[in-house]
Amino acid sequence: MKTFEYTIKDELGIHARPAGMLAKTAKELDSEITITKGEKTVGATKLMALMGMGIKCGETITVTINGGDEEASETAMKQFFESNL
Amino acid sequence: MKDKIFGVLQRVGRSFMLPIALLPVAGLLLGIGSSFTNPTTLETYGLTGIISEGGFLYTILDIMSKTGSVVFDNLALLFAMGVAIGMAKKEKEVAALSGAIGYLIMNTAISALISAKGGVEAMAVNSTTTSLGITTLQMGVFGGIIVGLGVAALHNRFYKVQLPQVLSFFGGTRFVPIITSIVYLIVGVVMFYIWPIVQSGIAQLGQLVLESGYVGTWIYGIIERALIPFGLHHVFYMPFWQTELGGAMLIDGTMIQGAQNIFFAELASKATEQFSVSATRFMSGKFPFMIFGLPAAAFAMYKAARPEKKKLVGGLLLSAALTSMLTGITEPLEFTFLFVAPVMYAVHCVLAGLSYMLMHIFHVGVGMTFSGGAIDLTLFGILQGNEKTNWIWIVIVGLIYAVVYYFVFYFMITKFNFKTPGREADDEETKLYTRKDVDARKEFAAAKNVDDFDKISALILKGLGGKANLSDVDCCATRLRVTVINPDLVQDSLLKESGASGVIHKGNGVQVIYGPQVSVVKSNLEDFLDTAASDTLDIFSDESVLDTSKEKKIESKPKVQTIELYSHMNGTVVLLEEVEDEAFSSKVLGEGIAIEPTEGKLYAPCDGKVEMVFETKHAVNIVSKDGCEILLHIGIDTVKLSGEFFESHVADGQEICKGDLLISFDREKIKNAGYKTTTPMVICNTEDYKAVEAVAAGNIIAGEKIIKIK
Repeated sequence: MKTFEYTIKDELGIHARPAGMLAKTAKELDSEITITKGEKTVGATKLMALMGMGIKCGETITVTINGGDEEASETAMKQFFESNL
Repeated sequence: MKDKIFGVLQRVGRSFMLPIALLPVAGLLLGIGSSFTNPTTLETYGLTGIISEGGFLYTILDIMSKTGSVVFDNLALLFAMGVAIGMAKKEKEVAALSGAIGYLIMNTAISALISAKGGVEAMAVNSTTTSLGITTLQMGVFGGIIVGLGVAALHNRFYKVQLPQVLSFFGGTRFVPIITSIVYLIVGVVMFYIWPIVQSGIAQLGQLVLESGYVGTWIYGIIERALIPFGLHHVFYMPFWQTELGGAMLIDGTMIQGAQNIFFAELASKATEQFSVSATRFMSGKFPFMIFGLPAAAFAMYKAARPEKKKLVGGLLLSAALTSMLTGITEPLEFTFLFVAPVMYAVHCVLAGLSYMLMHIFHVGVGMTFSGGAIDLTLFGILQGNEKTNWIWIVIVGLIYAVVYYFVFYFMITKFNFKTPGREADDEETKLYTRKDVDARKEFAAAKNVDDFDKISALILKGLGGKANLSDVDCCATRLRVTVINPDLVQDSLLKESGASGVIHKGNGVQVIYGPQVSVVKSNLEDFLDTAASDTLDIFSDESVLDTSKEKKIESKPKVQTIELYSHMNGTVVLLEEVEDEAFSSKVLGEGIAIEPTEGKLYAPCDGKVEMVFETKHAVNIVSKDGCEILLHIGIDTVKLSGEFFESHVADGQEICKGDLLISFDREKIKNAGYKTTTPMVICNTEDYKAVEAVAAGNIIAGEKIIKIK
């Protein structure tokens, strides 16, 4: 299991579009990805739950990577967040 | 075959309605205008002091009379254009232009031949007339109908024609006026030689009708009424009203043909002392049963209704009776008993025929513009004076008719226990039948009989995923080119069974290869799409359309639960692929559909629970009671508005029902801020289902079925 923290820089936060892209990216990886904000944790492929987190700009989330090629998945997720959020 | 001819005739009849709808207004102008400029009328009512020739009121009335009259004078042109519009399948405005062109060209060709032959003097007496300043053969409205029907046929055949590259500018709809002018040049030449023969034939047939006297009038009346259920009565009476068949007469030095034309020419003429009954016998008979008889029948139905239903039925029957009385539009009332008691309708036909005959016998000379209501009776009967029209007989016969209709109807209803309104079993809804109901019944019956509908077209339609799945049908030289809403619904096997040699898919485009006969396949399919049967394709059991092997395949599929979602807005359906936002069009967020709203309101597409309203209030997540996760997203990029112009009416976690208002928004302001309001509805958990299908296209009203999920 690997984790990393990320602080959202996109001023609009994780609204519909980034949530869709995040879910899509997570689906393509062979690891299980979860997103944690405060006490809530959701699967990154669960689009609606993801949107339901209401993650806003400046908030810090924890990304957890579990199983599969964790190394590659972590790189991919980091890259995704850096370039999109 | 029989049904096909019938269908065409019915459409012809319906296409007459556009020009005919103008007649009451033109008749009103002519009726009022000519009544009060007629010196006899003015003297009779002592109005000479107020209305005198050259005076202000007289001039106004004269304008009314003449503008009304011009409509009747140019009916042929109106029919040429109106019928072309009514019969054209698409691009109707081009058909209208072509109709006018065809009419002018045909008459001009005839005119040139008449002068070549030596002018009007060389022609048979009364066989020529002047139309729009062109000296031509007297063809009456027939001339216009010939043009209208022919132009529509040419139009439907050629409006999509493709010409070789160099001439391509003249292709498509532009080709229709061109081919029309050429064809009607030839038709004009042919008419010049044929029409005189037809003219003498019609004259003889009309003579026969005229000579058969009262019995002839009676039979005319029965047939006219009996054709009402089929909507073909206009085809039957029009020739009598508008052509030589209804007689010809010299009025004010002009030869006038057709019963109605004669009446209105006499109305416009200041020399008329009495209206010609030989003409009005094709019209006057309507008054007694329309103003008196049928309303009495309505009263009989009211009396025969069960006491607890009387109040409900009373309103329905009263409005139908008033419509018949005032305007002479009888269908609302007639269709009420036509289905439940055809025998009663037969009796009605005989009585109606008798009414025509009685009016003939009593020399009643009251004409009409459209039908025999009280308005026409007042204008063309009472106002013209009893000496000219004998209108008093309409009232006398009418009162007797009222009594006869009341007792005959009441007796028959109670004796045979006919289920007229208010007498039906409790579960049936009380209502007046409309023409649509008649057609729907007919087509439903026809559709059930497999031999009677186009099997191949039905098969193709089924193969393409049903009517709702079609967005556009076209063809090229060998292929049927179809744009479908959901390509997954297309079943190649069914298409091949319909005779296709291959099927090509390209996104939403489907090309079905049939070979050169494809244009026939396409037009058959289009005709089939126009029938009610195509809407209800599912009513056919599979074995009627498919052979048994296919049927087994279908049956072997496991039954899956389908979830239906209903439109979330009023507006126009937009395919998700066409939404101008990658996130939706690429379907990253899931399958679904979008609506371009015409109103700033978002409604719940199903029963369920609000999962979350976005903080910016431009989107809402809903979970349906079946577990379907739905994202409704108002506008493109509207997250940037940070909630401005949006107002939420629900809270997170709230239970909702289909049709509940979720969010309202200011469409104009959002647009002015530079954002689109296209609103996608996507199924976030699309991967949990086998298929998400859009089942609507075009304009939609909130609450109509829009998505099916399997």
